[in-house]
Amino acid sequence: MTATTGTGRLFSVRVEAALGAAAAAAFGALAVLGLAVAPPDAVQGDAQRIMYLHVPTAWVAYLAFGVTALASGLYLWPRTRAVAWDRLAGASAEIGVLCTGLTLALGSLWGRPIWGVWWAWDARLITTAVLFFLYLGYLALRRVLGPTEAGARRAAVAALVAFVDVPIVHFSVEWWRTLHQRATVFTPDLSPSIEGVMALTLWVGVLAFTLGYLALVALRYRIAGLEAARDAAALERAIAARVAAAAAAGGTVEPAGVPAP
Amino acid sequence: MTGTVLAGDPAPASVAPWGRPRRRARRWVALGALAAAGVAIVALAVVLSDNVVYFRTVSEALRERESLAGRRFRMAGQVVPGTITENPQGVMFALTDGAATVRVRHRGDPPQLFADDAPVVCEGRFAPRGTVFRSERIMIRHGNEYRPPEVDTGRAPPVGAEPGGAGRRR
Repeated sequence: MTATTGTGRLFSVRVEAALGAAAAAAFGALAVLGLAVAPPDAVQGDAQRIMYLHVPTAWVAYLAFGVTALASGLYLWPRTRAVAWDRLAGASAEIGVLCTGLTLALGSLWGRPIWGVWWAWDARLITTAVLFFLYLGYLALRRVLGPTEAGARRAAVAALVAFVDVPIVHFSVEWWRTLHQRATVFTPDLSPSIEGVMALTLWVGVLAFTLGYLALVALRYRIAGLEAARDAAALERAIAARVAAAAAAGGTVEPAGVPAP
Repeated sequence: MTGTVLAGDPAPASVAPWGRPRRRARRWVALGALAAAGVAIVALAVVLSDNVVYFRTVSEALRERESLAGRRFRMAGQVVPGTITENPQGVMFALTDGAATVRVRHRGDPPQLFADDAPVVCEGRFAPRGTVFRSERIMIRHGNEYRPPEVDTGRAPPVGAEPGGAGRRR
C-alpha cells in the first residue's frame, strides 16, 4: 500500500497486526488441542501428535512454493512485471524452505518411534529432501544473481522449474511404494481418514501455520523493500561523496566522470 | 494471494545496486548453489534407481528368489498372529501378504509397535539354504488412518492404554 515511500507492504499495518495476533491465537489453540484435548491415537499413542505439526508444515511448504511459482510467473509475464512479484517470490520461498526443513525434521522425529528408523530412502522422503535442496539452491541463486532485472528473470525461471517437484512430492505416495503412509486429508478421492477432535486439531494446525505463513511472508516482504531502499540510499551517498571529493580536488565534476560503484 | 497491494515499486530492479559487490562472497554463494544442485541431482538419481520400489511383497520376493539370492532387499507384509517367538538373538515370526507366507528370523530388537498383525517392512536377505528370510532391520508401515482408542467411558484413557481388540502392544 505504501509502496511509494520505498517500504512496500504486502498488507496494511492493521492487517499485518491482525494476522500476527490471529496466528498467535491459533497456535495457542493448537497447543491446547494437540497436547491435551485430542486423544492419543489407538495404534501410535502420543507419537501421533507430531502429525499436528508435520502435516501443517508440509502444507505451508506447498503453499509457499506455489506462491513463489505464481509470483515468478507474474514477474515473467511482461504485462504484470513488477519488482514486487520478485520480492514476494523470494520472501515466500524462504518460508517454504523453513517449513520443508521443519517437515523433514518433524517427520524424522515421528518416524523413529513409529517406523523404527529416523530416515528411509523411500520416494516421499527423497523427493521432499530434493524439494528442500532445490529451493535452498533457488535462494542461493537469488543472491548470486543480485537484484537486477536480468537476475530476477532468471531466478523466476528457476522457481518455476523447481515447482515441478511439488506435485511429485505430493503424489509420490500414490505413484510409488513407500514406507511413508498415504495422504490422510488431501486424498485422491478427498475423503479424509481422520475424524472428530483429531481432525479438528489438524485443521486448527493448518490454519495456524497458514496464518503464521502470511504474517512471516508479509514481514519478510517488507524487509526486502527496506533493504532495497537502504542499498539505493547507500549508492546515492557514495556517489555524492565521490563527487564532493572530486570537487575538493579542484577538478570540474561532470556526471559522466562519476566512477561506477 | 491477491495482487491488489503489490503494484508499483520505488526502485526499479534495473537501477537497484547490488548490495554486496564483493567478488569472493559471490563465488562462495555460487559454490553453495552448485553444491545444493548437486545434492538434489544425486538424490533424484537415487529415486530413479532401485528405490522407486521401496519394498517387494512376500509373493514377489518368493517369485524372484533365484535372482535375489544373497542380495539385500526389503520385503513387506503382515505379521501372522501367534507366530512371534523370541530368542536371545531377536525374534522369529511368519510374514504374509495374504497370498504367500515366509518365515523371518530377525536379529536385534524389533521396534516398539512390532506385534501380531503389524504391517512391517523387513530389510535383509534370504538364507543360502531353506526358505528363511534373515532380517536385519524391521520398520513398521503404519496406515494413514487415525482414531482415538475405542473406549466408551467418554474420557481419554491413560497414555499407553490398550485399545480394545487392536492386538498391538506398545
